[in-house]
Amino acid sequence: MANIIDIFTVLMMGTSFAVFSLRQYRHSIIAYALQTLLLVAIFLALYFKYGSHELLVWSITAFIIKVVFVPLYLLRLVNKLGVVVEDEPVGGFFISPVVALSFSLAVAMMFYKVFIHFSIFKDVLPLFAASFIFMMGIFGFILRTSFLKQILSYCLFENGIHLSLALMAYTSHELVEVGILTDAIFAVIIMSILAKRFYASYGSLDTSKAVNLRG
Amino acid sequence: MDILLLILIIPFVFGVVMFLMPLHFKLLQSLHILLSVIVSSVLLSAVSKIVNGAELSLFHNFIFLDSLGAIFLSLIAITGLLVNIYATTYMKWELEDGHITIKEVKNYFALSFIFTWTMSLSVLCNNIAFMWAAIEATTLASVFLVAVKNDKKSTESGYKYIVLCSIGLAFALYATILLYSAANGKIEGEAMLYTNLLANAASLDPMALKLVFIFALIGFGTKAGLAPTHTWLPDVHAEGPAPTSALLSGVLLKCAMLGLIRYYAIVANGVGFDFVQSVMIISGTLTLFISSFFLIRQHNVKRMFAYHSIAHMGVIAFGLGVGGAIGLFAALFHCAAHSFTKALAFCSTGNIAKIYGTKDMTKMGGMIRIAPLTAVLFGISICSLVGVPGFAIFVSEFLIFKAAAIDGAYLLMGIFAVALAIIFIADFSHFFLATFGKVEGTVVHNDEMKFTENFPLIALAILIVAFGVWQFDSFTFLLDESVKTIMKK
Repeated sequence: MANIIDIFTVLMMGTSFAVFSLRQYRHSIIAYALQTLLLVAIFLALYFKYGSHELLVWSITAFIIKVVFVPLYLLRLVNKLGVVVEDEPVGGFFISPVVALSFSLAVAMMFYKVFIHFSIFKDVLPLFAASFIFMMGIFGFILRTSFLKQILSYCLFENGIHLSLALMAYTSHELVEVGILTDAIFAVIIMSILAKRFYASYGSLDTSKAVNLRG
Repeated sequence: MDILLLILIIPFVFGVVMFLMPLHFKLLQSLHILLSVIVSSVLLSAVSKIVNGAELSLFHNFIFLDSLGAIFLSLIAITGLLVNIYATTYMKWELEDGHITIKEVKNYFALSFIFTWTMSLSVLCNNIAFMWAAIEATTLASVFLVAVKNDKKSTESGYKYIVLCSIGLAFALYATILLYSAANGKIEGEAMLYTNLLANAASLDPMALKLVFIFALIGFGTKAGLAPTHTWLPDVHAEGPAPTSALLSGVLLKCAMLGLIRYYAIVANGVGFDFVQSVMIISGTLTLFISSFFLIRQHNVKRMFAYHSIAHMGVIAFGLGVGGAIGLFAALFHCAAHSFTKALAFCSTGNIAKIYGTKDMTKMGGMIRIAPLTAVLFGISICSLVGVPGFAIFVSEFLIFKAAAIDGAYLLMGIFAVALAIIFIADFSHFFLATFGKVEGTVVHNDEMKFTENFPLIALAILIVAFGVWQFDSFTFLLDESVKTIMKK
């Protein structure tokens, strides 16, 4: 079972890199949906291994909200705005994924050693992957200037945190997960409304154009 | 019905009620004031129960109110009420000037109740994951209180607010999960509950706790406006309507600070106070100096007060860093003192913008002749912000000096004094620029506001002076009890 979880987590790392790097919004959103599907698969694998009822509830709610609702909502936003490819990010399309990848790997290498001390799940790779995905999300915010990519980055680090929660503390109350997921839904919806307004005001989703308030 | 349950229901229901109201300003205005009074009465009634020694909890301790929470709940009640009353005046002006539509006003009033609801929830949550969710919800609820209009600047401020706060709070969520993981199975009872975590802090993994605190500091510190992740704050506070800035600075930043203080208490009791104090001293000093440097350069009155908010979050962090019973007492007192002061400061910027039609202080001048009461109220907020004796903020800043002196931390006293001196010089030069001398720009409204319009500001000014010269036993009781809880004495 541990091997299946290892495989899923490696695939999740790959998809997080894809969400970050893919230039076409649609591809990026599909990569995110795929990643969340893998996350749901990990929840189920852990459920079959440990029999924790909470994990089953998590997998159902995560599937409905993050595999179905969020990607569909974002695809609808992309259609409405009529955007296809993201604007050139900081340092170009090639440099930013390399920077994000290398720094995320470095940070993850530091974190998993601490996590393994107190995690319920003692396997190295998934713990490493959880902090890697979280950091890819953080770097997505910093290095990609597209508003939509930043919404996807929010979703990415939220997946990283969700994976950490499943590995380190899967016995926590279902309500906790519901609370966090509800927040995530509202965050995505509100960010999308702002993205629409942003596009209407600036004619693009490039947030580096937002310089009216500096000084 | 249980008072805590009422707090969980009433502001939310009132928010929905406001959404459903017809587009009639007089009705919206009266209802907003009436419902705000009801909400604040309920919140203060819960606080009074704590002052009388009651223990309040709900849903198997999932929701609770302790003395620490009671301090912050009273800020939501008092500052929130006065700012909400002022908001009706401010929105009337905005409506008259055609800057805003009646529908946007209705949405603003409705959202302000939802915002109050999320802030109250963040104070009442004993479950640390729910506390995080509530603090994140405060951001989501207040985005459209900041980005009220559809224009470029408004959208940009909303974007910066949600993006930076969400990134920051992601670290706080990670801290929450790490703390739970570190405690799960090692302590008796539910490891998600703050009260259980605090009671059993000594049995938690010290390495995990240190990482938790750093993450919590980044997370809640971003939301509270601590440097270097404070950059969202000047843009958001400067761009939002005056009452929003007053609510964000006067109440919201304190709710985020409460989250950090709760983590401070757990980690301090787990790994010792030295660690958390050192971290907070570094954070406080950095925040104080960065904000005071930027403060000197500001000519936009709202940006100036925004940097003040950052500086005073630095003062609170510094108080937590100096530590000890007096340092903690001072930090908590500062939360209240700054809340009243900053609410007055931002509300007076609403009056000032009405008079001059600009926020640029170089285009003001002669306010003392045009609107003497507004000038005095503005002066009271400035005097309190720089720590003039007789005003609320002086008390906490003096106590921080006292705590440092008792500890023999003379270097810290020196650093603190230098930072406050820079703020003092910057503030008074700006204050004189706007208040005295000749008018440098144009005067749009050459008259003082009506007494009813200034009433919330006068009430805030009275509170600032009262807390500066008087010791309120019930409030001191809450502070003392909170310090005892944090220090587990």
